[in-house]
Amino acid sequence: MSEILIKNASVCDPAQGINCETMDICIRDGKIVDSVSGNAKVIDAEGKLTMAGGFDGHTHSAGKINVGRFMNPNDARKNLVPGLSGQVARTEKTRAQVGYNTPNTYAIGYRYAKLGYTTICEAAIPLLSARHTHEEFKEIPILDKMGLSLFGSNWQVMEYIRDKEPEKLAAYIAWGLKASRGYGVKIVNPGGGEAWGWGKNVSGLYDPVPNFDVTPAEILMGLVEANERLQLPHSVHVHCNNLGKPGNYATTIETMKLFEKVKPSRDRQSLHVTHVQFNAYAGTSWRDFETGAPMVSDYINGADHLTFDLGQVIFGPAVTMTADGPVEYANSRMLHEKWSNQDVELEDASGVVPLFYSPKSFVNAVQWAIGLELALLVKDPWKVMFTTDSPNGGSFVNYPEAFTYLMSAKRRAEVISGFSKMALDRMVLPGIDRELDFYELAVMTRSIQSKIYSRPEKGNLKVGSDADIAIYDILPGQIDPTTEYEKVKKAFSGTAYTLKDGVVVVKDGEIEATPKGRIYWVNAKVPANIDSAMQKDIDLKFKKYYTVSKSNYMVEDMYLENPVEIGTEGVF
Amino acid sequence: MQVVKLSLKKANKIPIEADNVNPDNFAGKTTEEIKAIPVLYGNGQCPLGDLFNVEAEGSDSVENTKIVFEGDVSRVKRIGQNMSAGEIEINGNVDMHCGSGMKGGKVVINGDADSWLGCEMAGGEIILNGNASYYVGAGYRGESCGMRGGKITVNGNTKDYLGEHMCGGEILVKGDVGLLPAISNNGGKIVIEGKATMPASEMKNGTVIINGEVSDLLPSYKEEGTEEVEGVTYRKFVGDVNVGGKGVLLIK
Ligand SMILES: [Zn+2]
Repeated sequence: MSEILIKNASVCDPAQGINCETMDICIRDGKIVDSVSGNAKVIDAEGKLTMAGGFDGHTHSAGKINVGRFMNPNDARKNLVPGLSGQVARTEKTRAQVGYNTPNTYAIGYRYAKLGYTTICEAAIPLLSARHTHEEFKEIPILDKMGLSLFGSNWQVMEYIRDKEPEKLAAYIAWGLKASRGYGVKIVNPGGGEAWGWGKNVSGLYDPVPNFDVTPAEILMGLVEANERLQLPHSVHVHCNNLGKPGNYATTIETMKLFEKVKPSRDRQSLHVTHVQFNAYAGTSWRDFETGAPMVSDYINGADHLTFDLGQVIFGPAVTMTADGPVEYANSRMLHEKWSNQDVELEDASGVVPLFYSPKSFVNAVQWAIGLELALLVKDPWKVMFTTDSPNGGSFVNYPEAFTYLMSAKRRAEVISGFSKMALDRMVLPGIDRELDFYELAVMTRSIQSKIYSRPEKGNLKVGSDADIAIYDILPGQIDPTTEYEKVKKAFSGTAYTLKDGVVVVKDGEIEATPKGRIYWVNAKVPANIDSAMQKDIDLKFKKYYTVSKSNYMVEDMYLENPVEIGTEGVF
Repeated sequence: MQVVKLSLKKANKIPIEADNVNPDNFAGKTTEEIKAIPVLYGNGQCPLGDLFNVEAEGSDSVENTKIVFEGDVSRVKRIGQNMSAGEIEINGNVDMHCGSGMKGGKVVINGDADSWLGCEMAGGEIILNGNASYYVGAGYRGESCGMRGGKITVNGNTKDYLGEHMCGGEILVKGDVGLLPAISNNGGKIVIEGKATMPASEMKNGTVIINGEVSDLLPSYKEEGTEEVEGVTYRKFVGDVNVGGKGVLLIK
C-alpha cells in the first residue's frame, strides 16, 4: 500500500466546482481517497496551484506523426522551446530526446508530463495502420492513451449507409474499433478522402461521393446513428468538409445544425467538432479572407448539443498531418512545400505537409486570431476544449504560451501589435477583452475532456478518481495572469510535481519516473447474428480488394500494454 | 600569431568527430589546454591529446590562430565546424562535414574532401586542392536552405548534388561535377568549369554558369537569348518552370 498526502494545495477542480481553495488531497494505491494514515508520504503544496492531470483530447502523437518525422529530419534539431524541445541526451531516468513538432515517442511522454498532462487522445487512426499507432503508444512513457479510428471515407461504411443497413453499420463500427483498438469514431472530411482517390474532393454536405451515391451529410448521420446505437463513450469526432477554405464557416455551422436532432445515448454531447479554427473562415478567396469566428461562436452559444476544440495556431514552424488528403495537396501547392499523401486502401486518405506560420502573413495572423476568438467568444468554457491540433497548429510544447494569450488581453495586444493593418481589418480579436481565469483554463484543459470522453476517473480530483495530478508553482490571487503572463508561462512549462496514478513522475520540472501508461479501447457489444452477417460482407472486401487478410488485419493483444477494455452495450 | 600543429598518433578506423577543432576553441590556449579539449570518438568521448600529437606555438586571438593538420585525416569529421575566424590547413584527405556551418575564416585542404564540405556555410572561405564527394555546400537533411554565404573553391572534381538547396554565397568548381548540381537552389552563384549533368533542377533563384559540356539539360528551362559574362557569351536559360523559378542557367 502506498499513500501520499498532498498538503495545503490550492486546488482548482471545476468538476467539483472547487475554485482555488486550500485543501489536502489524499492518495492511496494510485487513487484519490478520503483520508490516509499517518505513514503517508507528504508533499507540501502550499502556495501551489493544483489541478487534475491535463488531458489532451486531440493530438497527433502516434502513427501519422511518424511520416512527419521522416519528412522532416531537420525537426530533430529544432529547439524553439528550450527544456521542451531539441536534442537532449539520455539520463539515468530518461532516454535521448529529439525534435520539436515531431519529437520521438519518449520525448512526447516526458514533455506532456512536464506540462502536467497525463492523458492524450491520438486523433486519427486509420484502421489498416492501427498496429503502427499502437507500437508507438507502447513507447510513449507515462501517459494514458486512447485513439480515434477513422470511418468517414470507408467503403463499407458508405455502402451500408447507401443500402440503409444501420444495424450492420453499427456492427462494422464495433468491429473496426476492435480491429484498431480504438476508442471512438473519427470522421475526416466525410467522403472527401474517397473522392480524393479520383483526384476530386467533395465541396459540401450534399455533394455526392463518386461511385458511392451517398453525401457527406448522409455519412455523418449514418455514423452518428451507429455511434449512439453502440452507446460509445465518445460522440462522433468530426473534422468538417472544406477545411482550410475561405468561406467554410457556413459548412461548419451547417454541419453543426445537422446534429441538433440527434439524441445522445449517454450524458455527453452528440457531436464534437475538431480544430474549428481551420473551419471558421469567411470571405470567398484568400484575397478577401477574414474571420468567421463570430458567426460560428454565435451559433455555438445558442446550441447545447456540441463541443469543439480550437486548433490554435502558434507562430513558427508546424507540421500539418491529416486524413484530409486533398487539403494537404492544396497546402503543398499553395506553399510550394514538400508533401506526402497516402491512399489507405478502402478506408481513407492521408497527408503530411510542413509549414511555417508567420505573424507577417495576414492569413496566418488571422488564423492565429480565429482560434482565440472562438475560445473567448464562446461564453461557456464547458463547450471548449483547448488544443493546437498538435502539431498542425503548432507543437503542444507551446501550450503554456497559448495559455497566456487566453488569460491576458495585454499579452494578445503585444502580439497583435506586430500585425499588418490588413490583418487587423479581418479579425475581431482586438475588440475582445475577456480574459480567462485559472478555473476556466482548467475546464478547457482537463475537466471538459473527462465529460466529452466519458472518463469520470480522469480530469478531476474527486474521491475515487485516478491520482493524476499537476501541481504548478504559482498561486492564483497572488499573481495577476493578465499582467504577469511570463510567470504563468513559466509555471505551466514545468510542473512542481506531476503525479501519474499516485507516482511522482515530474518534480521541479524534471522527469522523476517513467511508468507505463494505459491504453483505453472500446469493445461494443453487437448481437451475434448481425455481426456474422456483417462479417460476410467484409470477408468479400478482404477477398476482393484488401492487400492483407482479415486475420492479419486485427491489432492483437500483444500490442497493447496495460489495456483497459471499455465495454458498451449496443441497442439493436 | 598562434599556430597549432596536429597529427594523428595513429591512423583511426573508428571516426573522430572533431566539431570542437576550430580556431574559436583553440585561440589563446596552451598545448596542454588544447590537448584537454574533448572530441567524440566512436560512441564515446576523449581528450584531443589522446588521439593527436598537439604542438601550439604562440598565443593570439581567433583571427590570428592557424590550425595545421599534418597527414591524412580521412576519418576525422566536422573539422572547422561553425568556425568564425582564423585559418585551418589540412595537408591530407579529410572526412565529412569539414567547414560545415562555418561563418568566417578560411579552410585550405591539400587533399580530397568527403561529403558535405561546407554544408550550411554562412561565411568565410574554403579552398579544396583535390576532389570533393557529394553535397558540397548543401543543406541539412530536410532543411530548405543550404549554403547561404561565403565561398567554396574546388580545384578538382565533385560528385553529385553540388550546392543542393543553396540560397547564397558562391561555389567555383574547376573540374567536373556529377549529377544534379544546384538542385533546389534558391539563390547564390555556382560556376562549373568542367562537365555537368542535369543541372539546376527545381532551382527557384540564383545563377549557375557551366563552361564545360552539359548532359541531359532539363526540359523545364526556357531559353531566353544570350548573356555575356566576363567577355564570354552564354546561352541563357530561365527556370526551373516546374517550381515557378527565376533562376538563371548559363551554358556555353
Ligand atoms: Zn487533428
